[in-house]
Amino acid sequence: MALKGIRVVDFTWVVAGPVATRMLADNGAEVIKIERKIPGYMGPRKVGLQPDLNRNKLSVAINMAEPRGVELARRLVKISDLVIDNFSARVMRGWGMDYESLRKIKPDIICISMSGLGHTGPRRDYVSYGPTLQALTGFVRLMTDPNGEPAGFGYSFSDLAGGLAGGFAALAALWHRRRTGEGQFIDLSQMEALTGYLGPGLLDISVNGREQSPVDWRPQERPAAPYGVYRCQPLGDDDDRWIVISVRSQAEWDRFVGAIGAPSWVNDAKFRTLYLRMRNRDELDRQVAAWTANHQAEEAMTILQRAGIPAGLVQNGADLCTRDPQLQFRNFWAPVKRPDGSDTYVSG
Amino acid sequence: MQSAASSGALAGLRILDLTDYRAHLCARLFADLGADVIKVEPPGGDRGRRIAPFVDDRPHPDRSLFFWFYNLNKRSLTLDLESARGRELLCELARGADVVIENFGPGRADAMGLGWARLHELNPALVLCSISPFGADGPYRDYLADDAVLTAMGGMLYVNGYPGRPPVRPLGLQAYHASSHYGAIATLCALFARDRDGTGQWIDLSMQAATAGALEHVVGLFFQNGQPERRRGTLHWARFFRAGKCRDGYVLHSTIGDWTSLLEWVKADDAAQDLITPEWHEHDHRAQHAEHLFDVLDEWIKDKQRDEIVARAQLLRQPYAAVRYPGELFDDEQLLARGYFVEVEHPELGRSFRYPGAPCLMHGTPWRVYRRPPLVGEHNDAILRDELGLSREELAVLTAEGII
Repeated sequence: MALKGIRVVDFTWVVAGPVATRMLADNGAEVIKIERKIPGYMGPRKVGLQPDLNRNKLSVAINMAEPRGVELARRLVKISDLVIDNFSARVMRGWGMDYESLRKIKPDIICISMSGLGHTGPRRDYVSYGPTLQALTGFVRLMTDPNGEPAGFGYSFSDLAGGLAGGFAALAALWHRRRTGEGQFIDLSQMEALTGYLGPGLLDISVNGREQSPVDWRPQERPAAPYGVYRCQPLGDDDDRWIVISVRSQAEWDRFVGAIGAPSWVNDAKFRTLYLRMRNRDELDRQVAAWTANHQAEEAMTILQRAGIPAGLVQNGADLCTRDPQLQFRNFWAPVKRPDGSDTYVSG
Repeated sequence: MQSAASSGALAGLRILDLTDYRAHLCARLFADLGADVIKVEPPGGDRGRRIAPFVDDRPHPDRSLFFWFYNLNKRSLTLDLESARGRELLCELARGADVVIENFGPGRADAMGLGWARLHELNPALVLCSISPFGADGPYRDYLADDAVLTAMGGMLYVNGYPGRPPVRPLGLQAYHASSHYGAIATLCALFARDRDGTGQWIDLSMQAATAGALEHVVGLFFQNGQPERRRGTLHWARFFRAGKCRDGYVLHSTIGDWTSLLEWVKADDAAQDLITPEWHEHDHRAQHAEHLFDVLDEWIKDKQRDEIVARAQLLRQPYAAVRYPGELFDDEQLLARGYFVEVEHPELGRSFRYPGAPCLMHGTPWRVYRRPPLVGEHNDAILRDELGLSREELAVLTAEGII
């Protein structure tokens, strides 16, 4: 295993921190999760995430309110390489577990703190969760329904963004330490990590002074039409079935026309070139939707992909976890046992 | 700007970035931490240079903000990999590199003579990270995908938007972003493994799998309940957050903080309606009846001002937030105080621009801007002459033949 021999003391909770340490654990690091008594903050539904977030980790329950508990944790740090938390600055300092204190007992220790808005600055004590950060950075405002109402995210994408940034930073710091013997403190603001995920639009704001428009089904990378999400035939009594189609070039259009059986409307002059198809996209979309409405999503995808057209069904949890042959081929789902002995699967 | 000699955490690593616009971010993550990343582009420039937006909306390969965002801190070498001589030069560079990242598509690198077998033979310590839409093998290996298709197939799209209405795509190219991050993490892990036995390895990264690996609740809850999670607009799946409309915009409500202080505030405004009954003090009750709870809170804030609500809520330690436009980030006092945005000079334009900066503050080995995004082939001479020892005459021939 790539990270064999690396030991991590993991104080993280909720989602972002556990995602970061999961990547270390999956690659062979010994991750010791320090569990404290925390009320089920998100209720019983949260339990379902535990196998996926915390597989491959060890767990130690320590009462950090007790001096002897803190002493135990400090002894663990002495034989570890990395300490990671996602508290605000006060918490670790209060326990004497901040970087300055810990480097005295382990000079090359690496400490990563994954707080919401960072350890410095006027809003360092802001109370935040993933959805809060998604609101602050613009994701909620711009992921709108066609009626203009905010419509996303339905989950904490921010926690994944922060977790991936934290995992990469941890590895980079370990790499540096391996070469120089130096540890360090990493102050990760999940809001800053998430801001980077906005992408080139940020430069459009700062360079061109242009505020970003709400997302819609206009292509973001290459010109394309048809391009969008189209409703398909119901699967049993589930009518929430959709396919994404992206036809980017004249060659793809020609193949698309062949794949859908060359209906007469494709000969209409207003669909002759990519430029015209983009200009007349509303009408084009109606025609494409009429075709998809007569096909199962998976069937439509197969027809189009066999013709060399980017297309994918909008997979729900059941599609993803039980039906997708590609993820199964890659052994993406790994079986694990729950604490009660029952079987479940986690993502790879 | 700093010079190339640096104390970045990944200084000393050399990476050949053969990717196109779908995976540019992966190598940038290394470049930002001091690795020497050579962006290998076809003569004339990478396809990403043709993607909008452009500086002042004037399309030009050296003015694409899309390219700038994903290629900061890299050097550029133009090389025609369709030509035998171009591939030969690439192989020479691969001898001295730690990592090659490519996304030509399954089997394509092999067909070009740049596949794992060849590179491994040239340089046994090399790590090759191959990024493809669905992976190198399997029933979907030849399926085509862009970011939208990947968000669909990776499960990200289905859970955003309103029930009964079309799914709403994520803002930004999030399937690409997630794939690049997973690619960078896997590559660094492979380098750790190489440190022990001296042997590199091949990474076969499926962007669909990476996207599915960047979901929060979908997988865990499906294996728990056997039911797919549905769309619920901005109502977060854990049912403690929802956006609501106020007088001048939207706020994100939260009912996960201290209920008593929130309730007292709403009561003081005579807007608590039926929330005064004791069962609302229970966490689970609030989650179970979230729709009604947020409807009452929406009614409460409809004539209030966004920033006033949020300021007061945060004083009460309630994780409320303003639903902002990204433009507001550039005036955000917290980001400014922490120096998040950095000024990057573009001397050829005689201007400098604000870029988003470090994803985290590494105090021992700071993230930094080493160089602005490269112009097309800007470092051809430096790389081919200094690294491969080519003469001025050889360079002239390569240029004339359209190989660089």
